Amino acid sequence: MRFPYTVRLVLLISLFVAACDSSDPDPDPVPITAVTATDIPADPTLIPPSGGPPVSTGRFTLYSLREERIVLASSEVDATVRQQDSVSTAWDIGLRGTTLIFNGGTSGPGEGAAQILAQPFADVLEATEAGYFADGDNTACPALETPAGPVPGTPYAVCSGSDNGWYNYNAPINLISPLAGRTIVLKTADGLYAKLRILNYYQGNPNPPDPALPGRYFTFEYLVQPDGSRTFETTTAE
Amino acid sequence: MSSRVLALAILLFWGLDAHAQAPRKEVAPRDSMRELVMAPIVVSATRSEKTLQDVAVPTTVVSAETMRRQGAVRLGEVLASVPGLALFDDHGTGIQVQGFAPDYTLILIDGEPVIGRTAGTLDLDRISIQGIERVELVRGPSSSLYGSEALAGVVNLITSPPAEGVEGGIGLRAGSHGTTDMTAEAGAGGPGGSGFRVMLNRYSSAGYDLTPATYGPTTPSFADYTTDLRARTTWGRSTLRLGGRLAFQDQESAFALQDTRYDDTGSRLDWSLHPELETRLNPRLRLTTTLYGAGYRTKTRQLRQSDDAIYYSDDFDQRYQKAEAQLDAFWNTRHLTMISAGGALETLGGNRYALDGDQPETRHVFGFVQHEWLPGRRLEASASVRFDAHSDYASRLSPKLAILFRPTEAVRLRMSAGSGFKAPAFRQLYLAFSNAAAGYSVFGASRLEEGIARLEAEGQIAQLFLDPSTLDAIRAERSMALNMGGSITLSDAFELTFNGFYNDVHDLIETQPVAQKTNGQFVYGYFNISRLYTRGIESEAVFRPHAGRARVELAAGYQFLQARDRAVLDRLSTGDVFGRDPDGREYALAVRDYGGLFGRSPHSATLRAAVDYAPLGLGLSLRGRWRSRYGYRDLDGNQIANRDDEFVPAYPLFDATATKTIPLGPRTRLAIQAGVENAFDITRPTLVPSLPGRRLFAGIRADF
Repeated sequence: MRFPYTVRLVLLISLFVAACDSSDPDPDPVPITAVTATDIPADPTLIPPSGGPPVSTGRFTLYSLREERIVLASSEVDATVRQQDSVSTAWDIGLRGTTLIFNGGTSGPGEGAAQILAQPFADVLEATEAGYFADGDNTACPALETPAGPVPGTPYAVCSGSDNGWYNYNAPINLISPLAGRTIVLKTADGLYAKLRILNYYQGNPNPPDPALPGRYFTFEYLVQPDGSRTFETTTAE
Repeated sequence: MSSRVLALAILLFWGLDAHAQAPRKEVAPRDSMRELVMAPIVVSATRSEKTLQDVAVPTTVVSAETMRRQGAVRLGEVLASVPGLALFDDHGTGIQVQGFAPDYTLILIDGEPVIGRTAGTLDLDRISIQGIERVELVRGPSSSLYGSEALAGVVNLITSPPAEGVEGGIGLRAGSHGTTDMTAEAGAGGPGGSGFRVMLNRYSSAGYDLTPATYGPTTPSFADYTTDLRARTTWGRSTLRLGGRLAFQDQESAFALQDTRYDDTGSRLDWSLHPELETRLNPRLRLTTTLYGAGYRTKTRQLRQSDDAIYYSDDFDQRYQKAEAQLDAFWNTRHLTMISAGGALETLGGNRYALDGDQPETRHVFGFVQHEWLPGRRLEASASVRFDAHSDYASRLSPKLAILFRPTEAVRLRMSAGSGFKAPAFRQLYLAFSNAAAGYSVFGASRLEEGIARLEAEGQIAQLFLDPSTLDAIRAERSMALNMGGSITLSDAFELTFNGFYNDVHDLIETQPVAQKTNGQFVYGYFNISRLYTRGIESEAVFRPHAGRARVELAAGYQFLQARDRAVLDRLSTGDVFGRDPDGREYALAVRDYGGLFGRSPHSATLRAAVDYAPLGLGLSLRGRWRSRYGYRDLDGNQIANRDDEFVPAYPLFDATATKTIPLGPRTRLAIQAGVENAFDITRPTLVPSLPGRRLFAGIRADF
C-alpha cells in the first residue's frame, strides 16, 4: 500500500510532534547500559610516618551512583565538609574497607535500602519488589558462624563478614575476592532502583585479583534506572 | 590340611627368621630381580610376614634393587615413581595417598613411626634410603594395627638385615644444583643371624633459584647427615634387635620483604632408638617386646641482614617414647592371633607450645587384637580392632576386616573395610597464640578453657559465644574406607593389579570463633567440622617379556581420583554458587565444575621400564609420570577451583638412569651410574617451586 505524499507528510509531522511532547505518557523506551567505577578508594590503609602496622582512618567514601562521581572521599579530613555531605542525599553508597552502606536508615537521611541476590548481574533484569533493608534494619545478618550457631552481626543492608555479603576472605593467601553471582539491588537516596556488583577490591582492578596490591580500592559495575521503574533493561527517562 | 596352607602358616609364624635364611644378594645377583619379583615378603599389612600376593589389602613393594637401578637416594624419589602416589609440597616433600594430604599417611622405619612433621608434612627428603632393603606401601586405613596417622596409608621402610661374613660399600653421587650424596656402609654377621650394619650418609645441595628477579633462592642450600645402626643377636629362643638412627641438617636461605633483606637459617636434629626382644615362649607362642624412643628438634632464625635483629625465631622440640608388647599365638594351621598392648609418652618443647616452660605432656595407651583365619586354600580372612586412649582427645576404636579370595591360581580378589583416624595436630591441641599486630587469639582444644579464662580475667573478652567448659573433648579425624580389587596373573609374564577405593572422612578439624575480644577481633578454637570423601581406582599392569639374556620389565599405572569436600557439594546443590570468568561473565556452577580439593589431579599415570643385560653388566631404568591439571587457588570468591587460571596445567615428568656394573672379584663389584631427572625440562616457576627443571647426576658405588 502506498499513501499519497500529503498523507505521508502529515503522518511524519504528527510523529515528530508526538516525539517532542514531553507530556506524552508513553515515550519510546531506550536501552540502558551499566557503567563501571574503577579504583574508588575506600579508606585505604597507610603506614604511619612513625612506622608500625598500616592504619586506616575509619572514614567512608560516599559515592553518587546517579551522578557517577565521588561525593566525599575518605581522604577528606575537613569535619565540616564531611558533616555536610554525610547528612545530604547527594550520595547513594558508602564504602569503607569491606563495609558497604546505603543512604537510608541508620546511615543517612535518604530512601536508600538494599538486598543481595544470588543471581548473576546480567540476569537481574528487574529489581525485586520487596525484601529491601535499610541499614540498621537487617536483623538476618550472621556476622559469623560459631560452634554454638550463628552470631548476629551489624544489621547493615549488605551483611559484613566473609561469605555473608559480597566477598569471600581467603585467610591463607589474604585475598578478598568478590563472590561471583551476587548482585546488590538497591534504592538510591532518592528512591530510584539500581543494581550493582563488586568486581575488584584491589588498586588497578588487577585480573586476577592480587592481594599483593593495595586493597580497599573498589571497582564496581552498576546501573541506575532513572525513570523510577524497576526494570533494568530500558528506561523512558531522558 | 593342604601342605600349602601349613607352609604359609609356618612362614607367618616363624617369618622373621626368613631374613636370616634369605640368600645374600651379593652371592646371587643375577637371580635377585626374579626372586624379588616372584615372592616379595611384606610385613606392613598384617604386622607379620606374608608374601605380597597373599595379603588381603592393597600393598606395593619397592625393592632395594629397583631403588638402586633408579639411582634414588631419598625416599621422595622412590615414592614418586609408585603408581597412584603424587608428591605434595607443603613445608617439605610429602606424599598423597588415595587423595589425602601427607598428614594422613604414617611413615615407619622397621615398623616404628618417624616423628617430626611441619604443617602436617613429614619431609620425605629427610629420609635416606641407603641401607633400606625395601619400601612397603599399604593403601587404605591401617589404624586397626598402627593407630593414628594410618588413615590414607602406611609407608614402612624395612632395613637390610645383617648378612653372614663381612661386607661393605661406598657410594658417591653428584648432580645438578650442587647436589651430592655420599654413603659408606659396613656390616658383619655370623651364622644364625647375629650381626650388625652401620651406615653413614651425607646429602647436600646448593639449592636453586627459579625466580632470579626476586631476592633469595627458591629452595635453600643444606647439608644433611644420617647415621644408622642395625644389630641383632640370637641366643636360645630369643632374638634381640637394636635399631638406631641419628640425623641432622643445617640449611641456609635468604629473602627480602619490602627491600629489607633477611637471612633465614634452620637446623634440625632427629634421632630414634629401637630395641626389640623377640622370645619364643613355646612352639605356639611368640612374645615381642619393643621399646622405641625418638626425638625431633628444629631451630629457625630469620635475622635482618643489616643489624642481625631477630625478625622471626622458632624452636621446636618433640620427644616420643613408647613401650609395646605383642603376643603372636599360632593356634593351629588355620588360626593365628596377635594381641598387643602398649603405652606412649610424648612431650613438646619449644616456644610455640611450651608457654612459660609449661611443656605439654601427653599419655597414650593402646591395645589391638588381630585374628587371621585360613579356612581353606581359596580363602583367607583377617579381622583386627584397636583401641586408643589419649590424654587430650577422645578415645578411638578402629576395626578392620580384610578378605582374600583365590577363585583360581591366577586370580586374587581382595576386599577390606576398615576405619582410620588421625590425632588432632599439636597446634589443634596445644597452641596458645595471640597475634600482637592483628589482635586475634587462637587456642588449641586443651588450652581453650584456660586461655579464655585468662583473657576474661584481663578484661579482654567482650562477648563469649559459648562456654568452653561445656565442650566435649575434641575427636580425632576419622574415616571409614572400603577397598576392593585384585590381581590377575597370566603366566609370570603379565600381571594386572587393580583397586577401587572409597574413603568417607568425618570430623576434620577447623577453627571457629568462640569469643569476641574488646578490640573487635576474635578468639578462635578448633572444632570437628568438615567432611569429605575420596574415591577412585588405582591400577597397574606389569609385563615381563622374554628377551633372551636381557631381563625386561615394563609397567604402566593409572589412577582415577575424586577428592571432594561435602560442604562444597552441599553448597553446589543449592544452585547459589557461581563462577566468574576473567571477562566478568558469571555462571552457575554444578558438581561437574568442581575441581575437587586443591592439589588433587583427577587422572595420573606412570610408566616404568627396566632392562638388565647381565652379559655386559648393563642396567637401564626409564620412568615417566603424568598428572592431569589440579586446582590450587580460588579467584572468584566461591572457594573452589573452577576456572582455568585456578588450576596448575597438566604436566609429564620423565627420568632415566643407566648403570654399568663391573665385577672386580668374587664378591666385589663396582657400579657406575648416570641419570637424568625431568628429562624434558618441565618447570612451573611460580606454581610448582619444587620442580627445578632438568637435573643430571652421576654416581659410582663399590660393594664388597
